[in-house]
Amino acid sequence: MGTLPYLLSVSRLLAENAPGYTYNRPFVQPIPLWDHWYLWLLPLCAAVAIVYKSVRCDSMRKVPREATSIFVMIVGGLILCAVLLSGLSYWF
Amino acid sequence: MSDERGQNQMHHGAHGALPALIVGAAAWLVPGGGHLLLGQRSRGLTIMASIVCLFILGLLIGGVSVIDSPAAVSWSALQQKPWYVVQALGGLMTIFTTVATNGHTLPVSHARSWEIGTLYTAVAGMLNLLALIDACARAAGEPTSPASVDQAGKQA
Repeated sequence: MGTLPYLLSVSRLLAENAPGYTYNRPFVQPIPLWDHWYLWLLPLCAAVAIVYKSVRCDSMRKVPREATSIFVMIVGGLILCAVLLSGLSYWF
Repeated sequence: MSDERGQNQMHHGAHGALPALIVGAAAWLVPGGGHLLLGQRSRGLTIMASIVCLFILGLLIGGVSVIDSPAAVSWSALQQKPWYVVQALGGLMTIFTTVATNGHTLPVSHARSWEIGTLYTAVAGMLNLLALIDACARAAGEPTSPASVDQAGKQA
């Protein structure tokens, strides 16, 4: 079996088994994030923004404002990249 | 602003005798531990909360099997598990997870769960490296922010 048919069969199998997946052991089983997985990138961006600004700012009082600003910039950059790449994949 | 710089310099002065190596070791073992050791409580606690939450979320998303340690301590074994190198920067969190899961058969995550879980734990490790470098620089009395670099340049 070639690589592409194998990947297609595995993804079909995962999709078929998704409704029957029972999640009852947190931290042992992976959580079922079939849809909206991209929303999990938001806490990641927030943590990067907070730690980066905690390290860079002289005063911790500035951190909430600066971290919010850089968080918006990161998420905006990701959305821009996603739009550009989906446009490229659509047209070419 | 000048008060903030003064406090920053006061921290450097007060803890100038603390070796950067000890601060670096504390920062690696416990995220934010280096800053706490330097007396920068709010900075240390913010870094600790962010990195620990990120790591725990990574384990929750992908399961503890995302911490996939190499079979042996060798270059070829590390090449098989490159994510573990950055996850190991998380310090005690990674060591504890590795020891706790060693020898157990665990459900392995696939696709997005594995990717995002691994990404969370790896980014937590790399952010801990950033905090470690900053804590070492502060312990050595180096300027750490753009404002303090400018001030040091003017004084020189």
